Amino acid sequence: MRQRPFQQVDVFTATPYLGNPLAVVLDGEGLSTQAMQQFTNWTNLSEATFVLPPTPEGRAAGADYRVRIFCPGAELPFAGHPTLGTCHAWLQAGGQPRTPGRVVQECGVGLVTLRQDGERLAFAAPPLLQSGPLDEVDVERIARGLGVARSDIVHHAWCHNGPHWRAVLLRSAEQVLGLRPDPATLGGLSIGVVGPRSAARQAADGCAFEVRAFFPGNHGLAEDPVTGSLNAALAQWLIPAHLAPRSYVVSQGTALGRAGRVHVDQEGAQTWIGGQAVTCMRGEVRL
Amino acid sequence: MPERAFQQIDVFSQRPGDGNPLAVVLDAQGLSDADMQRFATWANLSETTYLLPPTEAGLAAGADYRVRIFSPRGELSFAGHPTLGSCHAWLQAGHQPRVAGAIVQECAGGFVRIEQSDGLLAFAAPPMQRSAPNPALLALVTGALGLRPQQVLAAQVLDNGPRWLALLLPSAELVLGLQPDHARLKDLGQDVGVVHVAPSASDTSRPGVTVRAFAAPMGNPEDPVTGSLNGSLAQWLIAEGLAPQRYLVAQGERLGRAGRVHIRQDEQGQVWVGGQSVTCIQGTALL
Repeated sequence: MRQRPFQQVDVFTATPYLGNPLAVVLDGEGLSTQAMQQFTNWTNLSEATFVLPPTPEGRAAGADYRVRIFCPGAELPFAGHPTLGTCHAWLQAGGQPRTPGRVVQECGVGLVTLRQDGERLAFAAPPLLQSGPLDEVDVERIARGLGVARSDIVHHAWCHNGPHWRAVLLRSAEQVLGLRPDPATLGGLSIGVVGPRSAARQAADGCAFEVRAFFPGNHGLAEDPVTGSLNAALAQWLIPAHLAPRSYVVSQGTALGRAGRVHVDQEGAQTWIGGQAVTCMRGEVRL
Repeated sequence: MPERAFQQIDVFSQRPGDGNPLAVVLDAQGLSDADMQRFATWANLSETTYLLPPTEAGLAAGADYRVRIFSPRGELSFAGHPTLGSCHAWLQAGHQPRVAGAIVQECAGGFVRIEQSDGLLAFAAPPMQRSAPNPALLALVTGALGLRPQQVLAAQVLDNGPRWLALLLPSAELVLGLQPDHARLKDLGQDVGVVHVAPSASDTSRPGVTVRAFAAPMGNPEDPVTGSLNGSLAQWLIAEGLAPQRYLVAQGERLGRAGRVHIRQDEQGQVWVGGQSVTCIQGTALL
């Protein structure tokens, strides 16, 4: 056990404590998988990450650093907010990418490219693994579980890019914010909900959509403050379906007292998911 | 926003990761209630504490420091593991109590005496009210734990601020094997503690008492290691001759922890709840 550099980063916000927290151990060398998992469980956050030097293959392919991503109970091949948060912490700690403005992260799914857009970092969304409409049985169950009329779900789709999100588009952001989901009906499902914000609200803060993410937590249904993977998959559904413009900003976490901002940009075939991040704690961890 | 000295402590453990974590902001002067609550909610630990100089009344009464204790849901007047962890952080930061080995903590619930000896901090368990449980509620809780009524050797409602329904069970295996229906316990609105006392419990060279704490109504299905519950359990079990005046508790095993709570009743009848603590994360928080 030794002291290792540590940061706790708030992701998808420029204002401390309005985003989604992430614990980052900046030197994970020599830690066993079990030690990483145990520390992650102990932090009680949705994810903790461990930065390592790239593998020889990763380095040959251009990786700047390698990261292992854990949630309580399991290691994840990829996740969105941990990718942005880890990259932010690595840059804050003095990391220099081989190509200025472009950072290549090695993780369980392979290499993920991040780009720096001013104060923002954005990752290239991984491809959808399953798309297309949901089964009508699922849609009716989701309507019941969310407490909305079936007719309030105007579109729906599989948004599976690792996490198996089932996504529904509601009529308005107000409806999204007013949801009181029923854990007994939705238990076991990961549900993404999106609704368009009024023109007046959009003019006020630039956010086109309100998003909420519900998933099976360790105590029934949980809500994630701000979700990279869901927003990536939503963009890959909504933009080609002409339900969203090629570039937009999402507001997420409002119902939890957060104010997450997710920036979506479609460039050619590639979807970029971006946001700001801020280091809220820094120091050393004994691990 | 300034950087404030910060520690994340593991309480009731001597090895990082084995106990119950606590976030401590070491200099909280100037923070508003809303600042404290926002950071505690974001940190997502069962408790976050803020150290302050004693009030004038506290200083006159001998207090060494003042602490405010927040869960993600609100401020608490008193809690056990935050008391030991805050005191540990205060001492680690180089402070000296006015009376060597005897620290006085001021908190919303009043003054708490803390003894320091042999690398162990122990707090004087606060006064506790106990009563026989409502038989109907006891039957429902017993059912939610998957127990038969005859497996409960004794039951008591213990209230020292936090209110626990405590069940004495006939074996450690039974305690460790429980798979409670947390949704049901949440509906019943009852926090539940279970305990087994081995015949050899007066031998404190190894744990002779096994405890688990289920707190779904507080949003925490199982607490890793629980100061308040162990204080109340000791006051009940020792008074009824169901446990010796000094014993060692193991808690947290099912969560992969190895918490150790040292219980002692002194000549005046005061129960002391003690444990080791270790600083795991040390640095600053932006607050």
